[in-house]
Amino acid sequence: MAEDKYKEARIGVFLCHCGTNIAGTIDIDAVREYAKTIPNVVVVDNYAYMCSTPGQNKIADAIKEQNLTGIVVAACTPRLHEPTFRNATAAGGLNPFRFEMANIRDQNSWVHMHQPEEATEKAKDAVRIAVAKASLLEDLIPKSVPVEKTAMVVGGGVGGMQAALDLADAGIKTYLVEKSPTIGGRMSQLDKTFPTLDCSQCILTPKMVDVYRNKNIELLTYTEVEAVEGYIGNFDVTLRKKARGVLTPAEAEARGIVGGGCTGCGDCAEVCPVIKPNPFELGMAPRKAIYIYHPQVSPLIYTVDFDSCVKCGLCVESCGDKKAIDLDAKDELITVKVGTAILALGYDIYPIEKKFEWGYKNYDNVITSLEFERLICASGPTGGHLIRPSDGETPKRIAFVLCAGSRDNTDTGKPYCSRFCCMYSLKHAHQIIEKIPGAVPYIFYMDIRSFGKMYEEFYYRIQNEGAKFIRGRVANITEDPVTKNLHVNAEDTLLGRPIDMEVDMVVLAAAIQPSAETEKTRRLFGVSCSQDGWLLEAHPKLNPCGTTTAGVYLAGVCQGPKDIPDTVAQAEGAASAASIPIHKGEVELEPYFAVCLEDKCAGCGMCVYQCPYSALSLVEKDGRTVMHVTEAKCKGCGTCGGFCPGGAIWMQHFASPQIVAQIDAFLLGGEQ
Amino acid sequence: MAVKKDYKDQKLAEKLRDRKYYIPDSNPEFLKEVEKIGQTPAHMCYQCGTCTGSCPSAPRSSYRIRLFMRKAVLGLEEEALTDPDLWLCTTCYSCTDRCPRDLAPTDAIMAMRNLAFKRDIVPRNFLQTVQLIYKSGHGVPNNDANRAARKKLGLDEEPETTHKYPEYLPGIQKILDHYKLKENADRILAEGA
Amino acid sequence: MSGNNHQYAFFLGCIAPNRYPGIEAAAIQTSKNVGIDLLPLKGASCCPAPGAFGSIDLNVWYAMAARNLVLAEQMKMDIALVCNGCYKSIWEVNHKLKHNDELRDGVNEVLKEIDMEFKGTIDVWHLAELYYDPKVVGVKKIADSVKRPLTGSKVAVHYGCHLMKPGKERHFGDTENPMWMEELVAALGAEPVQYRNKMQCCGAGGGVRGYDITHALDITNEKLINLQEVGADALTEVCPFCQLQYDRGQIEIQDKFGVSWGLPVLHYNELLGLAQGMSPDELALDLHAVDVEPFLKKIL
Ligand SMILES: Cc1cc2nc3c(=O)[nH]c(=O)nc-3n(C[C@H](O)[C@H](O)[C@H](O)COP(=O)(O)OP(=O)(O)OC[C@H]3O[C@@H](n4cnc5c(N)ncnc54)[C@H](O)[C@@H]3O)c2cc1C
Ligand code: SF4
Ligand code: SF4
Ligand code: SF4
Ligand code: SF4
Repeated sequence: MAEDKYKEARIGVFLCHCGTNIAGTIDIDAVREYAKTIPNVVVVDNYAYMCSTPGQNKIADAIKEQNLTGIVVAACTPRLHEPTFRNATAAGGLNPFRFEMANIRDQNSWVHMHQPEEATEKAKDAVRIAVAKASLLEDLIPKSVPVEKTAMVVGGGVGGMQAALDLADAGIKTYLVEKSPTIGGRMSQLDKTFPTLDCSQCILTPKMVDVYRNKNIELLTYTEVEAVEGYIGNFDVTLRKKARGVLTPAEAEARGIVGGGCTGCGDCAEVCPVIKPNPFELGMAPRKAIYIYHPQVSPLIYTVDFDSCVKCGLCVESCGDKKAIDLDAKDELITVKVGTAILALGYDIYPIEKKFEWGYKNYDNVITSLEFERLICASGPTGGHLIRPSDGETPKRIAFVLCAGSRDNTDTGKPYCSRFCCMYSLKHAHQIIEKIPGAVPYIFYMDIRSFGKMYEEFYYRIQNEGAKFIRGRVANITEDPVTKNLHVNAEDTLLGRPIDMEVDMVVLAAAIQPSAETEKTRRLFGVSCSQDGWLLEAHPKLNPCGTTTAGVYLAGVCQGPKDIPDTVAQAEGAASAASIPIHKGEVELEPYFAVCLEDKCAGCGMCVYQCPYSALSLVEKDGRTVMHVTEAKCKGCGTCGGFCPGGAIWMQHFASPQIVAQIDAFLLGGEQ
Repeated sequence: MAVKKDYKDQKLAEKLRDRKYYIPDSNPEFLKEVEKIGQTPAHMCYQCGTCTGSCPSAPRSSYRIRLFMRKAVLGLEEEALTDPDLWLCTTCYSCTDRCPRDLAPTDAIMAMRNLAFKRDIVPRNFLQTVQLIYKSGHGVPNNDANRAARKKLGLDEEPETTHKYPEYLPGIQKILDHYKLKENADRILAEGA
Repeated sequence: MSGNNHQYAFFLGCIAPNRYPGIEAAAIQTSKNVGIDLLPLKGASCCPAPGAFGSIDLNVWYAMAARNLVLAEQMKMDIALVCNGCYKSIWEVNHKLKHNDELRDGVNEVLKEIDMEFKGTIDVWHLAELYYDPKVVGVKKIADSVKRPLTGSKVAVHYGCHLMKPGKERHFGDTENPMWMEELVAALGAEPVQYRNKMQCCGAGGGVRGYDITHALDITNEKLINLQEVGADALTEVCPFCQLQYDRGQIEIQDKFGVSWGLPVLHYNELLGLAQGMSPDELALDLHAVDVEPFLKKIL
């Protein structure tokens, strides 16, 4: 491996000024003169912007003229310009992996701006270390793997639906996996949507139908991801189809029941004797043990809740010849192969009862904004009449508590802004003004964050409609034990006066948090999350849909709070990103993987357990047990290479001799 | 610095006093000291008013805990320490329990009071408590009526404290003397009398 | 003194022994009845008053409280006490010194002058929390100790501030609507009643009672209005300073504002004493400023 087709190393060093970014602090001439003295260095050059075309040409030309074996560019970061200089290296006719970068800007001139001399010395060290590595670099050939021409979207909210539709429309067969019995997500629980106030169901239902009808989408509701194996281009995903107890017409046909299967008639629910709270209505309306969430569900197939079903069989009887109900149904595991996957796992409402001071779940007339959505919605449990849970009366004075649990650095809150609660609270204010004559919304806020297109205008409109804004966070709420009215205590910080406002109802704009199974699902896909649990994008600005796991992308709120327009936009971005490898047909893997030096490998297998990416296994080869690397899975982290007691693992591009040479170059200060 | 107008009429001068905030009005060290003594990062206050909204003293006075936080952040030492409202905090800790920024406004107030005391600004009753403890070990000492009641209850006339064991008093006095507390209390009370 | 009883050094504070000695007598007797021996903590002083001392110089507050703690360390015994103000000083300084080396070194520097050293070897408890804790006493044992249930009386609870707040440093959970003291009240056969703003301060703390008495009393009065609304027969608390503010405070409110309430105010230990059969004389209830008689009539 380490054996080199080049007899001796001939290194070219190129120093970048980056305008004054580097040259303003570091003495380039001094570094240049020093570099000439480093062993193996045959050319040293410098330029104002190495990344420019003339700068790149310098590299290519020098390779040809001086027959160089390795290139060192001392400039910014590999993250920014490694691809640039690799291309320049290749243009000179050298294998692009014979390039090494020394960061003398971000980690040097920028941070040591006021110590030019020390910075110059540090730059000399950095160049010397890079030369040491460049002298030992080898030719590497990236591997290509074919990509399975199917995709998966996990989560069937508006984000997941949009991503699936885009992929399907691009001609890619897509599995849409949704854990609940219907797609639609949170958006189907909303009444109207800001800032245009269109009816949420009206714009969502057609999309739900599109998803259901699309030939390229295989809709798997009531299904969860159980296991994920493989890597970009070749994921094997095991799914658990939870026992639904009701057959679709297709499933019925497969069982030989001609013309059978669920038609969504609902006769079963009629006769079912078990009554349970409907989670879609946040427990404010009942459902049976055999149920649908709401009339617009997609697919329109009933579901048996086996946790509450008493197996009386009444539904089976009422279903009759359709024979759709199978009370002995069991969970089913299936495995599908996909090339790329998108996670669109959405969010849950933070359990706001943890903020004891606002009395949610303790005072009847304190509700959350999501409950408000259901109560104000014509298809909701009260037919769209907003009423006080305590007495069924119509509330007239309604307080909205913004940032309820958001922007809260205590251990009973979330530090981030939940991003849509300002806007939907403005919407709610509008809705009560519109629906309830004489009603006054009081909005307790710290800042109104109306940053989107037409959002500030919406704020203007609601203010004009008569909503009252009080700039102060609510300190606590107390309940009048007799009237069940609520006293909202706060400070009007603009007046500088404490307020005790008696209202009929309080709506908490509760914070949101990652949905319950996000943690489990993201682990299966090897996706990281930030401290607050939202899934981590590959780069916050330049790669907001990607993740650090190749082939896995993010859409919607699971990546961080965002409203519907942003969710849909990100979903389209994620769908586009997820389709690229599929359209290309193959993906190139960086050749930074481990290589087993089979003659040294003792087959002990201990590395297999060390690898965090399950890339290693033991195989029989020529009568011996040796380790085998699945290159596409290996991330080149080096855990195994550092660990192997026999030194039998060679980490390409980060091999032990290369790293040792770098350490020597640093510690020995250039002396051999 | 506020514009000096040198008006002869004192009443007018006060009425028309320049009320703008100028950077030189502020002492940045003040914030640092408040944070150090109070052990709370007061500069993280985002002025939400949860504290004032929780405060039992606010509805019945001009005391606004939020404004004290603001003054700490802006370094308005003079204004904060000379404000008689500084002494209206009952230390109920409601604000501290509810502050969404996880600050302890109560402890910031305590810190400002400590700093006020360094400038001899302190209500008399606080100092009288110091004197009583120096003398007897108790802020609320025993008296004859109470002794009689204790006896009736079958308790010792003097409780098992420094009252019954005055030999512990010198230790207490040494601690107070270490901080010159008694000395300062006597002096400030005498000056104020 | 029974062999199996839990033993604690009894930190008296100022107001209980010197103004409401019935609380001291009751605490010793009622605790013994539920398996706790309270032993004298000889030479203890004022905790010292957290409002007054903390406001003047926190360092003095630390050092003075530490001296009291060392007395208990020397007895090798945890401290039990009956006052929220004392709890603030003694519990909190113990906690701070145990967790902050810099503070502790500073305090020990001073204590050295009187041949003492804070070691951090004991814990501090309020008797009320020991009564509630099933590992020490527990509500059931309290109920079992009752000889004369307070049936027919409505008792409201004032928790006070310095026992449970600031919640993040303490260990009591919900500080907005706690119910554990109501359980202790119900164990005595009384009916605990809820009222608006239960957790609001009595008004006395932080030196405000001495600095601006009408301000302090106005806060107290607001609570008395809320208590009146729900028809409480008595108010119970676990802090002699709160008791002073509610009890003597009602006389002062009458004096200054011309409003009279006549709401009997009893420390939980006094209430427990009554329920365990102690007589009003054994509790020195005659020392209360507000006549306790109407409440006694309800229950006797
Ligand atoms: C009260 C309220 C009012 C709002 N009003 C508006 C408004 O007016 N306008 C607006 O633009 N936005 C509004 N929003 C925001 C809006 O709800 C979100 O932007 C939107 O729902 C985000 O869609 P999503 O697909 O990312 O997530 P979700 O809607 O949460 O969908 C996620 C889906 O994934 C499924 N899922 C989760 N985990 C898994 C898993 N492990 N496996 C399989 N499936 C899984 C869930 O069951 C769900 O169906 C409002 C939000 C609230 C709380
Ligand atoms: S399961 Fe049968 S009865 Fe129930 S809705 Fe479907 S078809 Fe109708
Ligand atoms: S969107 Fe508005 S209400 Fe929601 S957390 Fe952000 S600032 Fe607070
Ligand atoms: S509650 Fe906290 S953040 Fe809000 S104004 Fe008060 S100190 Fe500042
Ligand atoms: S601790 Fe002081 S400032 Fe805070 S709420 Fe209580 S009285 Fe007000």
